[in-house]
Amino acid sequence: MRKFVVNVNGNRYEVEVEEVGGSAPAVPQSVSAATPAPAPAAAAPAPAAAPAPKAEPAPAGTAGAIKITAPMPGTILDIRVKVGDSVKKGTVIAILEAMKMENEILAPSDAVVASINVSRNQQVNSGDIIATLN
Amino acid sequence: MTTYEKINDLRQRKERILQGGGEARIAKQHEAGKHTARERLALLLDEGSFVELDAFVETRGTDFGMQEKKVAGDGVVTGYGTIDGRLVYVASQDFTVIGGSLGEMHAKKITKVMDLAMKMGAPFISINDSGGARIEEGIDALGGFGEIFRRNTLASGVIPQISVIMGPCAGGAVYSPAITDFVFMVDKTSHMFITGPSVIKAVTGEDVTFDALGGSGAHSSVSGVAHFRAPDEEACFAQIKKLLSFLPDNNLSDPEIVVAGDDVNRLDDALNTIIPDDPNKPYDMLDIITRVVDNGDFFQVHEGFAKNLIVGFARIGGRTVGIIANQPKVVAGVLDVDASDKGARFVRFCDAFNIPLITFTDVPGYLPGVKQEHNGIIRHGAKLLYAFSEATVPKINVIVRKAYGGAYIAMNSKHLGADMVLAWPTAEIAVMGPDGAANIIFKKEIGKAEDPIAFRKEKIQEYRDKFSNPYIAAARGYVDDVIEPATTRQRIASALDMLAGKRETRPPKKHGNIPL
Repeated sequence: MRKFVVNVNGNRYEVEVEEVGGSAPAVPQSVSAATPAPAPAAAAPAPAAAPAPKAEPAPAGTAGAIKITAPMPGTILDIRVKVGDSVKKGTVIAILEAMKMENEILAPSDAVVASINVSRNQQVNSGDIIATLN
Repeated sequence: MTTYEKINDLRQRKERILQGGGEARIAKQHEAGKHTARERLALLLDEGSFVELDAFVETRGTDFGMQEKKVAGDGVVTGYGTIDGRLVYVASQDFTVIGGSLGEMHAKKITKVMDLAMKMGAPFISINDSGGARIEEGIDALGGFGEIFRRNTLASGVIPQISVIMGPCAGGAVYSPAITDFVFMVDKTSHMFITGPSVIKAVTGEDVTFDALGGSGAHSSVSGVAHFRAPDEEACFAQIKKLLSFLPDNNLSDPEIVVAGDDVNRLDDALNTIIPDDPNKPYDMLDIITRVVDNGDFFQVHEGFAKNLIVGFARIGGRTVGIIANQPKVVAGVLDVDASDKGARFVRFCDAFNIPLITFTDVPGYLPGVKQEHNGIIRHGAKLLYAFSEATVPKINVIVRKAYGGAYIAMNSKHLGADMVLAWPTAEIAVMGPDGAANIIFKKEIGKAEDPIAFRKEKIQEYRDKFSNPYIAAARGYVDDVIEPATTRQRIASALDMLAGKRETRPPKKHGNIPL
C-alpha cells in the first residue's frame, strides 16, 4: 500500500494505491541528473506506483512513410504542425521536454504531415512515433 | 640488345604499366564516376611530386591461371609525394587490375610504404578500391591483410593514418581502415561492409541495398565508421588536405603554426548574449565555437554521427586545437553511448599527436533509458573519463552552462586533470538539476506541505539560487576563474601560451586497459 497526495484544482486528496502482484516499478531516485521530468500536474514526487495502461491516443491522420520518433524519453510540450501542413527540412514539428531541455523535434526533409501520433503533455519513450510525414 | 634498345625496352615496359588494366576497364571506371588509381594520386598530391615504387612487382600466384591474368603493379600503386610541401606515403588500389584484389605481392607493396612512413615519421594515406582478398592466392592473401593490420596498429599514435574509401571495401579489407585514425567516404561510389547484401539475404533473409547497408550515409551517421563524407572524389581530396593541415607529421613533432591574422585579444560581445535566459532553451553550440576560434574556421570530425557531441579541429592564435563540445540543440546535449565513443576516440587522437584539448561544456547528464544501459553506457561512458584522465596535452575546459552529475566529471573536469577550467556566469555546476534535486531532498516536506506545488517550486528556486551557479565550484577551486563570455578567446589563448611547455609524466607501463 502506498500513499500519494494529489492536488486537483486546488483540492487536496490523499490517495492510497495498492499494488496487485508483480514487482514494484522502479522509482527513479538515483542521484543523477537523469531523473525524468515529473508530470507537471501531479505534485506527487514519484510516478504513480501502478500506472494505468496508457490509452494510446488515436493518431490523427493516416500513417506516412517518414516516421519521426522520440530521441529520448520525455514529455511533449507543444505540437507545432497540423495534419496536411507542408513542412520544410528543419521545420519544428514538436517540442519534447526531456533532460531539462525543450528539445526541438525537426522535420528531416521537405514533406507533408501525414499524422500526429501524440498529444500535448503526453509522456513518450524513446522510439515512440511523434508524427509521420509523406 | 644495345643500350639504346634496353632504354627503349624500359620505356615500353613503363608505358604498359601506366595503362593499368587497359583502356576498356579505365573507361568503365570513369563511367562509374570514379577516377583511376593514378588519377587519384595526381589529385591528392602536389603536382609532379609523386614518386612510384614497386611498379614492376607482380603476383607469384600460379593457381587458377594467375600467371595469365597477372599485370605488373599487381593492382595497387604505391609510393610517396608531398601535400602542401609535406611528405606523405600513399597506396592507391587499382580497380582496373584484377579488380584491385589484394594478393600476397599487392600487400607487400603496401607494407613496404607503411614501413617507410614509420621510419620517416610521415603520414600514410591509403586509397581503397578493391574487390577484397584475391581468392586465387588463398591464405597468402589473408596473410597480406594481417601484415597490413599489424602495421596499422603499430603505427597508431606514431603517424597519422588516413583511409579513403573510393569503391568497394568489403570483408577483411574493412579492418585496415577501421584501425586507422580517419576514414573518408564518397557518396554513391564507396561501400564498406563485412558481408554484402546477397550474403545477408541468404543468412538472415533481410533485404538491403548496398547503399543502405554500407554507403557513406549509413557509415557517417549511423555506424560512425566514417569520419568524413564527400559528394565526389575531388571534394574528398580537398577534405583530406584540410585535415592534414591541422596535424603534425608524427607524434614527436608539433602541428604547424599558421598565423591567421585574427587577434587573440579580440573580444566578442555576441558571446554575452548567446545563452538564453531560460536554462531549458537550446541554442547552437557551433555559434560559440566559431566565434572563439581563428577566423571562425572550425573543421568538424564525425559531423553526422552522435551530433549531441561536437568534435573537430580549429586554431587559436595559429595553434591547432582539438575541440570537444556538447550540443544542447541535439537531444539536449546528453552523453550517450555513441557520443562517448566519438569523444573518447577524438581525445586520444589529439593526445597522441600533441594537440591541446579545449572543451565547451553544457551537459545535462548521461542519457537515461533501458536501451542505453543495455547497450553499455557504463562501459562506453567510462571511455570518455578514461581518455580525458589519460591525456597529458594541455587541457582547457570552458563551462558555458550545465555541468551536472557524472557528465560534469566526464567533460574534462578539474578532477580528471584539466589544467584550466573557466566558467561563464551562466554555468550551473551541481550534482544534478534543480528539479530532480528538490524532489529528492525535500521529498517528505513536499508531501506534507499545504500547497505542494507552490512549495516544490519554492524549493526548486531555492536550490537553483544556492547551487546552480559557478561560484560553489569556484569556491572549491574546481573552477579556476569565472569569466565574462566576451573574453573567452583571449583567456583560452592566454592559457594555451601558459601551457605550451606543459610536461606531465605517467608511471611507465606497457599500456593502459581502456574499457572497450
